[in-house]
Amino acid sequence: MRAVDVSVSLGGRRVVDGVDLRVDPGEVVALVGPNGAGKSSLLAALAGDLAFAGRIEIGERPLGDWRPVELARRRAVLPQKAALSFPFTVGEVVRMGRAPWHGRPESADDEDAVVEAMRQTETTGFAARPFPALSGGEQARVALARVLAQRTPVLLLDEPTAALDLRHQELVLRTVRERSVAGAAVVVVLHDLGLAAAYADRVYVLAAGRVRAEGPPREIFTAELLGDVYQHEVDVFDHPRTGAPMVVPRR
Amino acid sequence: MLKAYAKPGLIVGLALALTAVCLVAAGKGQVPISPAEVAGSVLHRLGLDIGPLPSAVQGENALWLVRFPRVVLAVIVGAALGCAGALMQGVFGNPLAEPGVVGVSSGAAVGAAAAIVTGATVAGIWTTAAAAFAGGIVTTLIVYAMSRAQGRTEVVTLVLTGVAVNATAGALLGLLMFMTDDDGVRAIAFWQLGSLAQATWGAVAVAGPCAAAGLIVAGIIARRLDLLALGERPARHLGVDTERLRITAIVVTALLTASAVAFTGIISFVGLVVPHLIRMAVGPGHRVLIPASALGGAVVVVTGDLIARTAIEYQELPLGVLTAVVGGPAFFWLLRRTRARAGGWG
Repeated sequence: MRAVDVSVSLGGRRVVDGVDLRVDPGEVVALVGPNGAGKSSLLAALAGDLAFAGRIEIGERPLGDWRPVELARRRAVLPQKAALSFPFTVGEVVRMGRAPWHGRPESADDEDAVVEAMRQTETTGFAARPFPALSGGEQARVALARVLAQRTPVLLLDEPTAALDLRHQELVLRTVRERSVAGAAVVVVLHDLGLAAAYADRVYVLAAGRVRAEGPPREIFTAELLGDVYQHEVDVFDHPRTGAPMVVPRR
Repeated sequence: MLKAYAKPGLIVGLALALTAVCLVAAGKGQVPISPAEVAGSVLHRLGLDIGPLPSAVQGENALWLVRFPRVVLAVIVGAALGCAGALMQGVFGNPLAEPGVVGVSSGAAVGAAAAIVTGATVAGIWTTAAAAFAGGIVTTLIVYAMSRAQGRTEVVTLVLTGVAVNATAGALLGLLMFMTDDDGVRAIAFWQLGSLAQATWGAVAVAGPCAAAGLIVAGIIARRLDLLALGERPARHLGVDTERLRITAIVVTALLTASAVAFTGIISFVGLVVPHLIRMAVGPGHRVLIPASALGGAVVVVTGDLIARTAIEYQELPLGVLTAVVGGPAFFWLLRRTRARAGGWG
């Protein structure tokens, strides 16, 4: 997936301004940055939800040339907030992820995909419960299970860890990582720089709609850059055991 | 394991219940005919020599000229209303959307009343139905445009829009009544109350195909309506052409409402209560909800019409009044439930 010189305007304001982005199969790319930096808007443009200027391509083909259902077989999108207007059960919600494959040979894998996705997100236990009865964090995992069940080569995830506890944050990102190792291209919006550093191959640091830095977290997570972008001084040091960069705000 | 049979069981059960109430309803009246004789009469007409024929004098005529058109129209109207309710709730993503509540029925009534008053006959027997359809689709589009914000409809906005639309439609109906003669006033008043008293085979021949077309399309889009429950964008991410789906569903809702309203007037709350009960029984999946709501709506309207014409001797209650007497309180209850669950007026 490729984006060239993409800009998005919302309510007369340029929230994404001339962004270039590339994500290849087998790669996890994280979008980080302060509130209002344009992360979610950029992701929404990649998903085809927002009108944009510039060029976005999936598999060498411009986004606008795909029919919705073809696109749904290539990329899955996890929205920031999971909503549901009727009390479907968790199992039914996850199965909705299989909808793009309806009537195709791949639909033979429906059962498999649903079971696997629910196992990976540890939601198997509440398959029969109505989705609205779950807690926020449980709903978030079910929403991710639906996206995983779609089994697409491109995943666009908007803050999949926002509502989750520590254990499930790790679980979710480990699952996402496994998907990319298996060949998926993943773009994920993250707030936690530690998680981004641990799980992303490359990071785009966004501020005011522009890419301030791009590259492997080890190289670009510096105290100067992050302090400037977040307008708060930070310390960056290597984890004593894993060597992954850790970002700690000065208090 | 019980659950696996619940869904087909419900459909079969409703179909059997519908057959039973139809047989009973067709037999009840000034010339009483037993359900077995009703069934026998139908089977004989189909060329099967099974069962007894009506023994009463004029039994055959009472059945085929008066009662069957009425019962068949009741089935059509009920199925159309039940299905339209389920469809509308699916598109609006809101369990309180219903053609009567949001004013689509009144809009269709205005269209039909305008046709009655002006005496227009552009499309022959189809004129009233066509005018009702035009009125229905215009109001549906208005309600839709007014009550949606960011891909969903809030309860308050939807209900308030319904209030405004119903008020406007009421004013237009009043104006039409003022402009017309006594016959016109009676025809419009009949419309607002809702009744199956004027059922004929002609009405069946017009309403039937419209409702059937609407039901078939509703069945086809049922699977995609499920995905719409996730919201506009997620549905599109799953490959649904949401724009097209919504427009299709709105046209079908208007078509179904018009076919129900064109010959019987406003029969409210069927589309609200029936889908809700079905959802409580087997969950919100539209592939079951839509056919079950159509069957359930038909059972309710056939039964309601039976009560309306037999409860008081030599007099007929308007069916629309009867459904409103039951449906009104049910609407209160639904409002409370929705409010409690949404934690306010979400």
